[in-house]
Amino acid sequence: MSELKRTQLYETHVAAGATMVDFGGWDMPVQYPTGIVAEHLYTRHFCSLFDVSHMGRLLIDGPERVAFLQHVLSSNVAALDLNKAQYCIIPDEAGGAIDDAFLYRFEEERLLLVVNASNTEKDLKHLRAVKERFDCTITDISREWGAIAVQGPKSKELLMTLSGGAMLTEPMKNALGTLTLEGRKVHIAKTGYTGEPIGYEVYVKSEDIAWLWNRLIELGAKPAGLGARDTLRLEACLPLYGHEMGVDPEGKPMPIFAVPLAKFAVSFSEQKGDFIGREPLQKQSEAFKQIQNRDFSDTAVLPKVIKPITLIDRGVIRAGMPVYRGETQIGWVTSGTMVPYYKAEGEGLETVITDEVVKRSIGMCYIANDVLDGDFVEVDVRGKRLKAVIPQRHLDTMAPPYARPMIYGVELSKRPVSTEARPIRALELLKKAEKNHLWRQKQCINLIPSENTPSRAVQMLCASDPSCRYAEHKKVKSFYDKDIFYYQGTKFIDEVEQLAVEELKKYFGCTEVETRVISGQMSNMCAFSAMMDWKNRLDRKHTPQRLGYVLNNHIIKGGHLSAQPMGALHDYIAVDPVTERSAVVNFPVCKDNIFKIDVEETKKVIDKYRPEVIIFGKSMVIHKEPVAAIRKYVDEQGIQTTIMYDMAHVLGIAGDYFQKPFEEGAEIVTGSTHKTFFGPQRGLVAVNYKEDELKYGLWQTIETRAFPGSVSNHHLGTQLGLLMAAYEMNHFKDAYQKAVVTNAKSFAKSLKKYGLDVLGDPKNDYTETHQVLVSVGYGEGAEVANRLEDNNIIVNYQATPDEEGFTASGALRMGVSEMTRFGFGEKEFDQLAQLMADCILHGQDVSEDVAKLRAGYTTMHYCFDDAAFTDALEAFAGKIGF
Amino acid sequence: MNIPVELKYAASHEWVRYEEGVAVIGITDYAQNALGDVVFVNLPQEGDEVTAGEAFGDIESVKAVSDLNSPVSGTVCAVNEELLDAPELLNSDPYGAWIIKVADVGETEELMDAAAYEAHCEAEQ
Repeated sequence: MSELKRTQLYETHVAAGATMVDFGGWDMPVQYPTGIVAEHLYTRHFCSLFDVSHMGRLLIDGPERVAFLQHVLSSNVAALDLNKAQYCIIPDEAGGAIDDAFLYRFEEERLLLVVNASNTEKDLKHLRAVKERFDCTITDISREWGAIAVQGPKSKELLMTLSGGAMLTEPMKNALGTLTLEGRKVHIAKTGYTGEPIGYEVYVKSEDIAWLWNRLIELGAKPAGLGARDTLRLEACLPLYGHEMGVDPEGKPMPIFAVPLAKFAVSFSEQKGDFIGREPLQKQSEAFKQIQNRDFSDTAVLPKVIKPITLIDRGVIRAGMPVYRGETQIGWVTSGTMVPYYKAEGEGLETVITDEVVKRSIGMCYIANDVLDGDFVEVDVRGKRLKAVIPQRHLDTMAPPYARPMIYGVELSKRPVSTEARPIRALELLKKAEKNHLWRQKQCINLIPSENTPSRAVQMLCASDPSCRYAEHKKVKSFYDKDIFYYQGTKFIDEVEQLAVEELKKYFGCTEVETRVISGQMSNMCAFSAMMDWKNRLDRKHTPQRLGYVLNNHIIKGGHLSAQPMGALHDYIAVDPVTERSAVVNFPVCKDNIFKIDVEETKKVIDKYRPEVIIFGKSMVIHKEPVAAIRKYVDEQGIQTTIMYDMAHVLGIAGDYFQKPFEEGAEIVTGSTHKTFFGPQRGLVAVNYKEDELKYGLWQTIETRAFPGSVSNHHLGTQLGLLMAAYEMNHFKDAYQKAVVTNAKSFAKSLKKYGLDVLGDPKNDYTETHQVLVSVGYGEGAEVANRLEDNNIIVNYQATPDEEGFTASGALRMGVSEMTRFGFGEKEFDQLAQLMADCILHGQDVSEDVAKLRAGYTTMHYCFDDAAFTDALEAFAGKIGF
Repeated sequence: MNIPVELKYAASHEWVRYEEGVAVIGITDYAQNALGDVVFVNLPQEGDEVTAGEAFGDIESVKAVSDLNSPVSGTVCAVNEELLDAPELLNSDPYGAWIIKVADVGETEELMDAAAYEAHCEAEQ
């Protein structure tokens, strides 16, 4: 037997008392003295270190590197952006897997391919043979560079201690970064083989690897061996070459598409040309689609697929055990063992992970392609048939920072339906609604920045008669574009709508406003639909082309959901043929202020992508958007684009104290009317095109995409309320807007003064809007927000731009507009800041103090309150029965 | 490695203790350490016959499954059911966590004393 190979960390493992085994020719730690179960749990709960230096690290260099990799890998290498990684497979000519691998682009000009340890030699032989036809080089850097996988919910915190607080990578999976950890250069990838949503693989020079390992141990990480690596990847349903890939127990090659992950690893993009295995893979892909559609008629190409399996009876399933449906064997277990987890209690965001350890017998299997999720099967466990089930998954990673075990058979509790008679339930509803109304309006302090309370006049108008009517109307050319109504009884609402439009035009200083859209999201859908229709106006004989590129704020950087492909852009955005993703690009943000768009970098993005649409606006917004600078740039460069500003959050502060969107060069403004604006819940689209401009046609399209495109019934009651809100806003805006911005800055400074970590730039008092952001600790946002609610303070928990999503939120997002309307000034916001600090930092119960503070401020300001108006409002209320 | 002197040992790493003619059987510290985390034990039932040198059940660790061999022939008169819910007791307390008790003991394997067993383990390493 040849000598076993050793990684750079061999001595460290032996010194730590690891049990060493032969793993594909490498002398590797299978476990440390604490054992696999403890190592598994520590990874899920805190942070473990895995020596992955045994894997092959190959640097691909040279002018034809991309062409070579496109040919030899399954993935679309041209779609791999700088500082991104992609999972891929090295296919053979028959569509089987030679290996699976990860491709990293740490540098503009070079790519790093990381392959399985036991396959490195085989892979190298294959890659070098193919490379002969390409002008590129393959360098094995496995000796010069080592690698440590740092996996688990605390991994980010530990590594950031070493980076001195510098961000490691963007928060998305597969993001990369190159930085120094205490002076030593490393490449960091947000990748891993444990299923942890927070986990990194750190590539470090061989001479520094023991240092890094020991530093992380000092900070609280613990080593984990190949045993835990296997149970973790199994729980995450990640395939292992030789089990879920390669050949099956009968020695037949397993098709790549048998592994569900193949869907992401294989691309048939035109960019790839004729790559190795393309034809059989295309057949597999077709067969895979058929199976997804539950058409199991073709069993030739993909007779079996890889699925998770959970044992219901007591016992343990192991690789190679036959799986049966009735008396027919339908496949085998490919991997299986008993895996531990911490039991969770409670539901939803209130789920608490206890320290009670439970174990479950789970695995993966290669079984007949017609087995569905939830089907029962049997496993032959050494002669005994044990009952098992095919679950959807064993683990879910979508609620970071924890990977959460999905336990078969768990059901959410259902609210019991009252058996009492409906009249009693109706009475109960009234009582509960009254209680909720009084709590929200009189006892608690609402700091949700997307909310406001409308004035009493607005509320009453919203509920008055037009609220139950229709008033469809459309401009008709034959009558010189006079709005023609389809229903009688609509003269009043006709007048109201015209007045509202005029008031809003005055508010924005623009030429046209559409008010029929009933929400901010609908405003954006209406605008996007119109832009797409306008794009295709000269060719109606083909399927219309979607929008692309679109430049917007990334959701994780505070971008508005309504301007994302997952939101209102969904049906209007093209797929980029190169990247095979939505044709959206994002505003780069300043390195020293991630809440602010970097104008100079944005210009480069605009040059590269020439976006058709530029969408400003955010839902986490503490700065002005650089509308004027970008308008100037696109005009100078002669770039044809449409600049839109989704002002949903800041609609009510448009003006002297914030931004004047149209003066700065926006063409379209969309938004909702109920956040900083005084209105009821509606939307609007405003434009500044003049009748003689070409793009006036886009405005006309916006009108038709509002009606009949978006609404038939445009909610006439709130239309009436909107007119009153517009009167209020135009009358009181100077005082209100000034108060909002002043209060926000003052509130931010007070929160800082009382010890809270206020985000943003202190140079402009942390905010230029109505919003204030406070960091409360990674992953703590939801808990703190809950605690505040118990203390009568309502806020949003919010993920900051370097956090993974709402469950990992470490911040609070607050807005001052509603309490400003209820009369709060700087003094009151200072009192509130102190109460919040007492609650957040010192765990004090401040609920009564908050209610007391609130009780003194229940009168609405910035609305008409002169005697004549108040009398008329009372008379109106009396007559219509409120 | 803990090898109590009062017990007898089988080459397949089970220990035996006699209590009034009944053989109490478990696995040794060496065995539990080699297995790693024990996650499941497949046990016989009371009244089952066991044969010296043959498997009476199996023990699963995270890594693999192994047979449990009986050092004696006889009838199972008690089973440690606690192990079904807490198999990890075999790791934490291998000499306290007995597995089965066998009555009517007949044929017995050749068993080692502590010193001989220690030499046996060292030879195996």
